[in-house]
Amino acid sequence: MINFEEEIKKFHPSLEVEDAEEAIYNQDLTDMADLMVKIVKEAKEAEEHGSQV
Amino acid sequence: MRCYNCGCRLSEHDFCTGCGADVSIYKKIMKLSNRFYNEGLEKAAVRDLSGAINSLRQSLKFNKNNVEARNLLGLVYFEMGEVVAALSEWVISKNLRPKKNIADDYIEMVQSNPTRLETINSTIKKYNQALVYCNQDAKDLAIIQLKKVLSLNPKFVRAHQLLALLYIDAEDWPRAERELKRCEQIDIGNTTTKRYLKEVEIMLHPEEAEGVKSIKKKKKKDNEEVFRYQSGNETIIQPLDVKEPKGVSLSALVYILIGLAIGVAMALSLVLPARIQNAKADVNIQLKTVSEQLTVKSATIEELEQKKLSLEKENMELKDKLESYVGTDGTLQIMDDILSAANTYLTNPEDVESVAMYLEKIQSETVLESTSETFQSVYNTLLTAIGPGVAAKYYDDGLDAYQKEMYEDAISNLEKARIYDGQNIDVLYNLANAYYKNGDLENAGVYYQMVVDGFSGTERARKSERYLREIESTQ
Repeated sequence: MINFEEEIKKFHPSLEVEDAEEAIYNQDLTDMADLMVKIVKEAKEAEEHGSQV
Repeated sequence: MRCYNCGCRLSEHDFCTGCGADVSIYKKIMKLSNRFYNEGLEKAAVRDLSGAINSLRQSLKFNKNNVEARNLLGLVYFEMGEVVAALSEWVISKNLRPKKNIADDYIEMVQSNPTRLETINSTIKKYNQALVYCNQDAKDLAIIQLKKVLSLNPKFVRAHQLLALLYIDAEDWPRAERELKRCEQIDIGNTTTKRYLKEVEIMLHPEEAEGVKSIKKKKKKDNEEVFRYQSGNETIIQPLDVKEPKGVSLSALVYILIGLAIGVAMALSLVLPARIQNAKADVNIQLKTVSEQLTVKSATIEELEQKKLSLEKENMELKDKLESYVGTDGTLQIMDDILSAANTYLTNPEDVESVAMYLEKIQSETVLESTSETFQSVYNTLLTAIGPGVAAKYYDDGLDAYQKEMYEDAISNLEKARIYDGQNIDVLYNLANAYYKNGDLENAGVYYQMVVDGFSGTERARKSERYLREIESTQ
């Protein structure tokens, strides 16, 4: 049986046109490629740091 | 595909030919992104827009620079009525690839018509307002707002779903189903829509929902037991083992009989008592009327019976009276008497006694004043003719009886003499004396007074006065 009170909580206000710009700026665009590059970069840095030591 | 490190175009090798970086994982990530994009494209093609959104978002999680995936995501959002989300994706896409990007056209399409953009913004505001109404429990207002939203933006899936939810809450299952069907026409893969629709179908067709599995199995079986053939553009399916019912089944007959029995019982318990009551009331009214009429008639009958008895009695009296008047030959007795008197007088005038007998009989039996004038004339003529002779005879007889102190006989004869000669002082005086001697002072007083009044100054008048004084002194 559908509970109206519970279901209504799943509906959220829609973004208005005026809020679009803010929404675009606040959107998290980080992807797996970024994470991979970051991980590789950190791994390289760690490797370089280890060889210097 | 370009190297994430140096931007060189990558070859089929797992390292960058420019910088030597290991790109095997990077390539797999890109491939995964492309695979999700393809999946999203396939889902969008069959209008599984929710599924397409999930796949395209996955694609962009792996590669944010997948402009095709982003543009398609915007397009799917736009198709579902989420215009701002679509614009956001297209704007990002435009930033990622400023040139040769179809997002340009999409953005241009929306922004080129300010009225349309304004309308879109208005529908979004109305939707948000409807949501506020829902949270404030003003569901009727929410429904009105959502209807306005959908009239302006009929593809707004979330608005359809919210409206359906409101109808479900109001238990208006047909309308809820209609809204959800419209959702399905836009987005066939939306799990929320499917969940709501399942609930609505259970409410609308509970028996079907329970028997879905058995029906599916039966359908398979039925498919094996039907005869199909093509007729033009139509496929005709004829079942093989279906038997048409012959006549009315026994159970149907039983149900009809039970229904009739219940109907009769209802009529007996509800309708008949009221009718009986009405009939009783009518009968009572009629009975009352008849009783009243009977009482009146009884009184009339009693009155008539009384009248009848009275008339019968009167009739008897009259008959007796008539009989006394009527002789043996049927004529009236007094007529007979007067005729006899006349006849006797004419044949033998000397026989005054016989004539007197008839006249006395008439005088004793009838009232002369009630007889006819002719009768009275005849009677008086005869009386005048025989009067003096008869009077003298009776006077002599009366006087003789008086002298013999037979006062009863004297009174009788003198009374008769008075009839024929009423102004004879001797008759009146001796009659008064006879009454006096006989002890009848009252009658004696009457006749003495007649002598005093009629013959004053005579000796007998003076004597009569003396006797009158004696009588008065005695009384």
